[in-house]
Amino acid sequence: MTTKDKLQDIFRDVFDDEDIVITGETTADDIEDWDSLSHITLIHEIEAAFNIRFTTREILAAKNVGEFIEMIEGKL
Amino acid sequence: MAEDIAKLLKAAKKWKKARTKAETASENKAGEKVASGNGAKKRIALLSSCASQQLALLLEYELHAAGLECELYAGEYGGIAMDVLDSGSPLYAFAPDIVIILPHYTDIKEYPALLAPAEDCAAVVERHADYYLGLCARLHAALPHVAVLLGTIPIPPERQLVGAERSPYTRTSILRALNERLASAAPGYVHTVDIAELAELIGRREFFDYQAYFWHKAPCRIDYLPDITRELVGAIRALLGRARKCLVLDLDNTLWGGVVGDLGAMGVNLDPNDAEGEAYRHFQRYVLALKERGVILAVCSKNDDAIARAPFTENPHIVLQLSDIACFVANWENKADNLKAIARTLNIGLDSLVFFDDNPAEREIVRSFAPEVMVIDVPEDPACYTLALDAAVPFYTLGMTREDISRAGSYQAAAERAALASSVVDYDSYLAALSMRGRFSAPDASELARFSQLLNKSNQFNLRTQRYDLGEIERMATSSDYRLLAARLTDKFSDYGLISCVILRREGESAFIDSWVMSCRVLKRGVENMMFAAIVSTAREMGAREVVGEYLPTAKNAMVQGFYDGLGFALVEETDGRRRYRYDLAEDYEPGGHIAVM
Repeated sequence: MTTKDKLQDIFRDVFDDEDIVITGETTADDIEDWDSLSHITLIHEIEAAFNIRFTTREILAAKNVGEFIEMIEGKL
Repeated sequence: MAEDIAKLLKAAKKWKKARTKAETASENKAGEKVASGNGAKKRIALLSSCASQQLALLLEYELHAAGLECELYAGEYGGIAMDVLDSGSPLYAFAPDIVIILPHYTDIKEYPALLAPAEDCAAVVERHADYYLGLCARLHAALPHVAVLLGTIPIPPERQLVGAERSPYTRTSILRALNERLASAAPGYVHTVDIAELAELIGRREFFDYQAYFWHKAPCRIDYLPDITRELVGAIRALLGRARKCLVLDLDNTLWGGVVGDLGAMGVNLDPNDAEGEAYRHFQRYVLALKERGVILAVCSKNDDAIARAPFTENPHIVLQLSDIACFVANWENKADNLKAIARTLNIGLDSLVFFDDNPAEREIVRSFAPEVMVIDVPEDPACYTLALDAAVPFYTLGMTREDISRAGSYQAAAERAALASSVVDYDSYLAALSMRGRFSAPDASELARFSQLLNKSNQFNLRTQRYDLGEIERMATSSDYRLLAARLTDKFSDYGLISCVILRREGESAFIDSWVMSCRVLKRGVENMMFAAIVSTAREMGAREVVGEYLPTAKNAMVQGFYDGLGFALVEETDGRRRYRYDLAEDYEPGGHIAVM
């Protein structure tokens, strides 16, 4: 499973929508329920699933899914 | 308690979305908010120095899961003072019944200098406590019926003076002293919810999450929001008179290791020299401590009765005794039905029960068929039983009273009383043989906490189900428009303490019975008749010509539906189940019965 596939499963789970398909360019504007509250849950779930911890700067910097994937893979 | 916070938040969000949708639909239909049900919904405001949306969402969801439908208002981050001090704030527009205030250590800007003398440290602590209690007082002045839940302040996990951190002038010591002060100086309308203690239990380095605080002003690591929620739900249940009362325990692999039917009374594992045996004994000691603080204990086991009882009488290592257990049910019926039977036997509501059983299948049956019962997620290892039960916060109390201690004993005495009942020919001579003594008069100052507790947790023998917190009771006790009456009862088996409360309010030439509640432990003993005699004489002292009584129906108080008819009141009005009665004080009232007045 690629990082993107695993991330897609997390997105589907967090936003409770089995049809979500993410690309590198997906941002919060593309997903209806991606608000500040679910963003917190999303970070929490990604950290748990990949067993990593983002730094404060990384959390603030990540703007789209592509940047998330880059950050995750940099820590694996 | 490990749990999946993301799943919980998702479920809560989904529920909230569905509810909002349903409400919008019904609003459109009716053109305005539907009145039914809304009137019963409690309005709870959550004010926090941190971000509170997630906590508010979880709180609303868990209250709903506990059968308490509430409207929730979450204040802005850091907006406690704004909401409380500005009479035009959204808080006052919301008109809350309960206000939760959760301060944060970053509120505190002033600390004493290192080596400051003790009196300077005490003065700083007092100033900070006065600030928070002042906010509560302000709320109370504007909204006298509001109950305030004030959180203590979790102490940050860094030390200022490692090696001498207990010195009175360190930040740690100042915050500790402040929390003590908040708890001890809180007036009757404020109850402190000990979030600081919760943080200690979890571990402060684990509880605090600075990244989450700097990022989105989270009050704690997101994983511990459910723990804060449980404390708050417990406090709210207690405030609303819905505190749970009884712990129902399975036996095999719950109170001891193994199956007594296979291993026999001596074969089950309670061995103090075995790690697992010691774990079961530790759990039993914890349960015994619950009983000593007033939790009723019951057993519900799939077993033959005699076999199930044998370890209690034969195994020398058992901690709990049969006499500790108010209701012992061992049979082969399904446990959901047995729990209903236990609730009936003890004369308490099904939602007063907490079920602890190692078997997940039994827990599932109870969750499905008796959803009112709180079911504990029992871990696999008996060494973890006590922590699982403790962390679930099943028995939150707003404070101990003397009656809590005597309650467990009086449920046991009920068994002895039953034995007496079978030895006498009729009920009247049974009552006479009990040698009951009662006192019916205004509660003194030391009894007001119990008065408020009984008023707020009685559901069945409760004519109008009005809830008042201690602050309001204190106000009524000194008001010339009100008279409070309390009944205390003893018999040859137990001292029940304060078991019935009445609030009389002057309404012109009438004395209106605003509240009348009685503990179901003393049903059919003649207490209510003696109490009415006291009401009659008090009403006459107030200069009233009649006593007006009212029955307001709830899901639980059908037992007193015809109560005023039985006392000789005349029905004057009946609408939607609400009945209004009057009793002419020209008539004398003769209570009869077997209670000698102390």
